[in-house]
Amino acid sequence: MYQGIAFRTAYLLTGSAADAEDAAQSGFVKAWRALPRFRSGSPFRPWLLRIVANEAHNRRRSAGRAHALQLSAVAAETSGDAAPSPEGTMLGREQREALLAAVQRLDERDRDVLTCRYLLELSEEETATVLDVRRGTVKSRTARALARLRTEMEP
Amino acid sequence: MTELEQALGVLAWELDVPETPDLTTRVLAQIEPRAPRRVERSRWIVAVTVVVLAALAATLAIPDARAALFRLLSIGGERIELVDELPEIPVQDDLELSLGERVTLEEGRRRSSFSVRELDESPDRVYLGERGTVWFLHGTPALPRLLVAQTPLDFVNEDLLVQKLAGPGTRVERTDVDGSPAVFLSGEVHLVLLIDEYGYVVEESARLARDVLVWDRDGVAYRLEGDFDLEKALRLARSLG
Repeated sequence: MYQGIAFRTAYLLTGSAADAEDAAQSGFVKAWRALPRFRSGSPFRPWLLRIVANEAHNRRRSAGRAHALQLSAVAAETSGDAAPSPEGTMLGREQREALLAAVQRLDERDRDVLTCRYLLELSEEETATVLDVRRGTVKSRTARALARLRTEMEP
Repeated sequence: MTELEQALGVLAWELDVPETPDLTTRVLAQIEPRAPRRVERSRWIVAVTVVVLAALAATLAIPDARAALFRLLSIGGERIELVDELPEIPVQDDLELSLGERVTLEEGRRRSSFSVRELDESPDRVYLGERGTVWFLHGTPALPRLLVAQTPLDFVNEDLLVQKLAGPGTRVERTDVDGSPAVFLSGEVHLVLLIDEYGYVVEESARLARDVLVWDRDGVAYRLEGDFDLEKALRLARSLG
């Protein structure tokens, strides 16, 4: 049930399918062991994703790389396979590549908060749990990260 | 939502994320049965939990004892666990490293989220530690005379535990500080750990603590650590104005 979002979270945080697989697997095992500490009635998804994100961060650090993301976007207009977003819009190739490249140039903290909020579509509350910060910090970090992203996008 | 945010939302749908691998078999293989090879840290956490659960189970039939045990286990945001023997884990020898960022007293007051209480004697050093804790060190890191920790309880609830592991050589007494329930640990050193709701040890290595008085009041958990008896500890606690 949570495999998809766990793997996607790990992948977007590590940028590596192999690391993401390890992180998601390890995250599930650690979550199982930590289940007695899970507060009954609280949302499970961010609790699980926090553990997975932690594992992903550990792998990212142990790999000793500065999070050189290998993300790419689906070439929608050539393949015609990509599903349009809920808004029914698509980005042009240049716009998409420029945006992705700009996101990848951000520092780790900015990228993580934007990843959670927009690429994983987590709420502020969920993002706060996953990144282990307060909700107010998510707000301020998001605003700062968007400003930096905007600067990165400027010609 | 700005145009940039909308574009990020669209990018989320257009990212080329590999297909999710089936993790079920591998995860189950590690948790069922319990894996024999496990991280050292996990082993003792589980071992301690088992000991505590066994103690709880043995006590559940006696309401008064159960209530007492729960009070003992959780006070001032701290959980005190009685174990047969202390686990062998790395101990933080450098006291300063375990306390946090060194700041001035004024900065400590200003940056804390609550009204910091102070003894008549000014601390020699002040630190801001994990979860909003303000530490006062009297003496030096090499020769500490007294440590005072103040942690806002909005950071410390059942999900985040300052876990003290007390072995058989540690004496645990329940008392009170001006009516607030308190626990005094004395005798042999015990381990202090910070563990979050996910089972992660927040502090990378444990710290050995000496005689400790723990209590909470007005949403703040207080700890006094030093070489003192209960009477002196209570006197110090009451003078923390």
